Amino acid sequence: MLRDLVFASLLVIIILALTYLTYSGGLGDLPPRDVRVIASNYLNLTYNQGITWLWAASPEAVTAIVWDYRGLDTLFETVVFYGAILAALTLFRSVSKVPEFVSSAGLSLVVKRVTAIVTLAILAVAASTALHGHLTPGGGFQGGAIASVAPLLLLVVFGKQFFIERRISYSKLLTIRNASLALLGFTSVALLILGFLTGFQAYIFQNQAKTVSTLSYPPYLLDVPLGGSLFFFNLFEFLAVASGFTLVFTILLSRDETLRKELEGEELGY
Amino acid sequence: MKRLYKSIVPALLSFVIYVVYTGSLRLYDIVTGVLVSVVVGVLTSNLLIEDWRKSLSLRRFASLVRFALRYFFIDEVKSHLLLIRLSLSPKLDLRPAIVKMPIKTRNDYGITLVSLAITNTPGTVVVDLNKEKGNIYVHWIYAKTTSPEESYKEVSEVFDKYALKIFD
Repeated sequence: MLRDLVFASLLVIIILALTYLTYSGGLGDLPPRDVRVIASNYLNLTYNQGITWLWAASPEAVTAIVWDYRGLDTLFETVVFYGAILAALTLFRSVSKVPEFVSSAGLSLVVKRVTAIVTLAILAVAASTALHGHLTPGGGFQGGAIASVAPLLLLVVFGKQFFIERRISYSKLLTIRNASLALLGFTSVALLILGFLTGFQAYIFQNQAKTVSTLSYPPYLLDVPLGGSLFFFNLFEFLAVASGFTLVFTILLSRDETLRKELEGEELGY
Repeated sequence: MKRLYKSIVPALLSFVIYVVYTGSLRLYDIVTGVLVSVVVGVLTSNLLIEDWRKSLSLRRFASLVRFALRYFFIDEVKSHLLLIRLSLSPKLDLRPAIVKMPIKTRNDYGITLVSLAITNTPGTVVVDLNKEKGNIYVHWIYAKTTSPEESYKEVSEVFDKYALKIFD
């Protein structure tokens, strides 16, 4: 009892001390209360129909920053993610190629039926998140992460057999992922290539037309702003992330013996 | 061709979820919604649908709607009231038991519907089931009887009848 009291009062003292330190500026300058210059610039330009040579044609400022204003940064982030998955796949390279014929019954039929319906809902929600990335919060990565929950659930609930029976193979997933990454890269240089072919000036990662370059992705589609390249970046990122995660899940959910085979010979030092 | 018929209901469901989640009905939402639901519908058709004729029957769908209304406005309310009375009574008169009940539906969706309907009403939880013998095992907080037939009438017959109409 006494110990609890001492512990509780210590906790309160620590929290109060930290709060005091933070508010008095002891842990570094406090953030300014008004919007900073760089933020207000982004907010003013992202969807400013009056200054279309600086806009991103998307009302979603975050997506506009991530895929347009600092698009090169995001491309390298995607490459890092690609590299991480590549490393995981290389580590278990022989596991991934051999289809594993495990007979697992999966979970009970109630769980199976409910999962079947939930899978459909997850895919619809993921697609909406990705396809509205330039309009509302969300985007390709978020959509892809949501979508990859569906195969994870299916793998756990129906067993790995389910994927093998439906011929969802390692190489097919890898093809989808590589193709979407190639298209992602192509989206960033598409206008540049078009510029070369037509003799106009264009930039890498160009989205909307600039004062010195008239080439542009379409700013609108049907009755909504399209954000030009943002839509395509989101779409291909969605496919790349969903298939990349699925690849890793299929490998990590292999049997222990199969995974351990990869590490054989480690004690001999090769 | 069969796969296409099978995809109709999943595609419709996926379109509804897409539009509700998006929360708007502009032309862009409808066009992308249709495209996405066709893809998702075809992808999930074999997972979701066994017999496409059953999935397209309006009579079965009407039974599903009737069941949903009845379940949420009658069965749920009744068992909530029962449980409120139980938990507020001063001597906490409980008669917990796990009772075996035979159910008639043999369809996977039917069994799922019955189990979830029973579990979702307060006071009863399905703890196990045996598809071959058609038995479910229900934990009942106030077991009025432990005989399988009588408890079937008491707890699961309503849901079972609807499950037969909707899915079998």
